[in-house]
Amino acid sequence: MRFAVGGALRRDFALYDCFDQPLRRSGRVLLRTGRDLVLLSDDSAPVSQKAEPGRGSLPAIAPGAVCDALTGLSPLRALMEHCAGRAETISVAVLDDMEKTCLRMQVITLSTRSGVATLVLMEPMRGYDRAHQRVVDALLDCEGASRGATGLWPVLLPGVQPYQSKPEVPITADEPAHGVAADLIRSSMSVFRQNEAGIIDDVDTEFLHDYRIGLRRIRSVLSLFRDVFPPEETEELQRAFSDLMAPTGRVRDLDVYLLGQSGFLALVPEALHPGLDLLFARMKTERDVAQRALARHLRSARYTARVAALEARLTDPEGLAPGPESERAALPYAQALIWKRYRKVCKLARRIDADTPDDDVHRLRIHCKKLRYLMEFFGPLFPKKKFRKILKPLKGLQDNLGLFNDYSVQQMELGRYLHPDNDAPVATDMAAAVGALLATLSRLQAGERTRVVASFAAFDNRAVRSVFEELFHQPEEARR
Amino acid sequence: MHVIACYSNKGGVGKTATSVNLAHAIARSGRQVLLCDLDPQGASSYYFRVKPSKRLSETRFFEDSDRFADAIRASDFAGLDILPANRSFRDFDRFLSRIRSKRSRLSKALVAGGAEYDVVVLDCPPNFSLLSENVFRAADRIVVPVPPSTLSERTFEQLVEFFKDQGLPRRKISAFFSMVEGRKSLHRDTMARMRAAYPKRFLAASIPYSADVERMGLRRAPVAEYAPRSKAAACYADLFAELAL
Repeated sequence: MRFAVGGALRRDFALYDCFDQPLRRSGRVLLRTGRDLVLLSDDSAPVSQKAEPGRGSLPAIAPGAVCDALTGLSPLRALMEHCAGRAETISVAVLDDMEKTCLRMQVITLSTRSGVATLVLMEPMRGYDRAHQRVVDALLDCEGASRGATGLWPVLLPGVQPYQSKPEVPITADEPAHGVAADLIRSSMSVFRQNEAGIIDDVDTEFLHDYRIGLRRIRSVLSLFRDVFPPEETEELQRAFSDLMAPTGRVRDLDVYLLGQSGFLALVPEALHPGLDLLFARMKTERDVAQRALARHLRSARYTARVAALEARLTDPEGLAPGPESERAALPYAQALIWKRYRKVCKLARRIDADTPDDDVHRLRIHCKKLRYLMEFFGPLFPKKKFRKILKPLKGLQDNLGLFNDYSVQQMELGRYLHPDNDAPVATDMAAAVGALLATLSRLQAGERTRVVASFAAFDNRAVRSVFEELFHQPEEARR
Repeated sequence: MHVIACYSNKGGVGKTATSVNLAHAIARSGRQVLLCDLDPQGASSYYFRVKPSKRLSETRFFEDSDRFADAIRASDFAGLDILPANRSFRDFDRFLSRIRSKRSRLSKALVAGGAEYDVVVLDCPPNFSLLSENVFRAADRIVVPVPPSTLSERTFEQLVEFFKDQGLPRRKISAFFSMVEGRKSLHRDTMARMRAAYPKRFLAASIPYSADVERMGLRRAPVAEYAPRSKAAACYADLFAELAL
């Protein structure tokens, strides 16, 4: 066996994935070296195509082999550059004693500021499996060598873990409630902070969504873990996090409308579509202005300082003062909270009929949401299978209540486009389309309203009740 | 799938050189090609540096489709695979009939990277036998190199007669003049005479007698690889173009 080594080709390279690394999770790596895009896979042959110039550092992926193989990615997420550097590609041919090529390889050395990785792409040749196997075995014997493409990640990006929008925080039954709350807050703190850069760069809409989820979870912990922190401290933190949330609302609302464009178009007759297109164009402009303002806010020294101070305080074990319930063991504490909230939901829901005012339905939605948060926070303490049994009907009820609320909010918000603050004239096409949309939304809201009683009945059955009892209702003597 | 047989009932006419250079040209045009080295005296495997497989010399080889597929070797050139030489193709006729049947296990084994080969080139043994008859039936085209000599004229006549006697379609025959030395009046006269006698059988392209072609044995590669700008390489390209595969 002899190795024939070709000349080196030096180019720049970049590694792409969505923020939550779905390619890495599915054993794939998307690389660009020079103008070549290649999608490597742990379990199939690499595919490649030319990279077209795209937006910023991200190439446009025109139809082609790589485009076809980029399956299973969420339409809500965009690819982004995770690292970049220099690549040196050397072609190597393995020859036998007749100088016949038995195997071709591309040895690509990728260097970034944080690491150097060598990637060997094998191009096995039909009928020469043994030569291929010998070379693979010899390479795998080298120190640090691993099979598959995703091994590039820990070498090029040491310490970069796959992002999780809802990391599960482990809880033990006898851990003090204060510790659970602090852990939950810290984990959500890390989630919302990780999303800041993506919002500033406007990579995709999920960054802001997850940022808000992180903040909302912290606020829920603060409000739902009653008496774990002193009331004045809770109130102060609530205000701080609510201030962080406030500037994000408008962009998110507009994102949701724009993402739902096709759904809204389907709600009005086709003749009115040009009017809605006009509305969405206006929303898009408004959204981009609001997004730039939000990015400025997130980059500001004021924001950075405030978040850094909050982070320092919340990650310090002594940073959060204990309240009267802080030493209570997690399990009975969780049971009491969930049971109380469950009873509240039932009490409220059982009163609802066709004539109940909408405000009560909204209140029911809030209680369901709180119940859901509690169940998510304390989930690790309870058996998964039983939990799923009660979560599913709860989700069904929440979906129903959520839609009811969405339709109501949408009518209010869209209605504003008919009466602009500055009294500017409204295009007739747009007014007609929005009018039709409002009528449909009102009809849909009424439909959801009539379903509330039925979806609560699906939640409030004997089986679900008995699981709630079993998991969360403590006998009298166990309670204080 | 197109089956092309390189055949001559006379040895030393440049048949193997034709198989090798033609298969290479077809692969270069972007098609998947399998070159079957069926001539035990031939050297198409040798030209591609592919060793004859030991397992191949076993009889009833073509009975076992998986082993058949295992014996195929990639050449050093994209799109071109080789079935190396074998001393005894006892079931060669069965091979030929199966290669055409889409449902046979053999056809299914005959795939390159998941897709069927576009073209199969057979480098055939030079004898005139029952086997040759099967080749003539199975192939879509029979490419026959003919050096412009009196003896070759005789053997070509025999081949055409054979087709006539057996009721084989003569239009399958695509003959061309090989090892042509334009300076020799004997060559020029023979070519003119044969073209007149078989106006539909001869291609316009011809391959000159050339040191570049002779060097194939030394270089062990198709002419277009080591002498891409040579007359010989251009002539093989013309031959390929005229065959319109």
